[in-house]
Amino acid sequence: MASIINASSSGAGGLISTGDSSGSLQLQSNGVTVATIAASGVNAGIQMGAAFAPAFSAYSTTLTSASNATWTKVTFNTEEFDTNSNFASNRFTPTVAGYYQVNVCISGPSSTTGIIAVNIYKNGASFKIGNAISNITVGTYVVAAALIYCNGSTDYIEAYAIQSTGGTANVGSNSVEFGFSASMVRSA
Amino acid sequence: MNLYEKIKIIYPQLEDKDFFTVIHLQNDSDGKGDYIAKWEHPTLAKPTDEELA
Repeated sequence: MASIINASSSGAGGLISTGDSSGSLQLQSNGVTVATIAASGVNAGIQMGAAFAPAFSAYSTTLTSASNATWTKVTFNTEEFDTNSNFASNRFTPTVAGYYQVNVCISGPSSTTGIIAVNIYKNGASFKIGNAISNITVGTYVVAAALIYCNGSTDYIEAYAIQSTGGTANVGSNSVEFGFSASMVRSA
Repeated sequence: MNLYEKIKIIYPQLEDKDFFTVIHLQNDSDGKGDYIAKWEHPTLAKPTDEELA
């Protein structure tokens, strides 16, 4: 348990506090825990409630087929975690406004020619391109990472990849070693 | 024939690097196929639907 300070809007509103001997403190708004503060234990420090600091990580067990030289949305069919249920249909749409660290790592085809690259899309458009690697003779992987503001309602993030081996080839994530993840760094 | 191949027939002078920069072909993995998301080539006009048909 924890001592609680609740800013309530019910009735006349005001602060409602209860105490215990746990040494931890919960800050609540209308009875919902926004943060927990503790000086010791595995949750020492300030712990934001899961709904107020969205984070997710996903990968796929199948690769995505991509036409030559075409930015193709990478699909991810397996979630490792999704603290606020903000990841769905290969898209991260955080419902809390803030700044998010976004990371994508995907694998590419083996080819003696061509380039593979990965791109973080925001709201359906190219936003932050990661590294590109050429002469991918033994297959490889590419990464993109960026700090991106999301407005908590309409903004969404997706991962796209491109390859130019000369024909259709598979890109994306096919194991837990590759994936797509994001986490709130700070609120707006 | 995919969209990239059709565009290369219309403009054989295009290089793959153009498709990483001034031209973006895109596929949203929604079953609707490839389309031109961005065409900002400085000298070549965006192909018309008729040319790509």
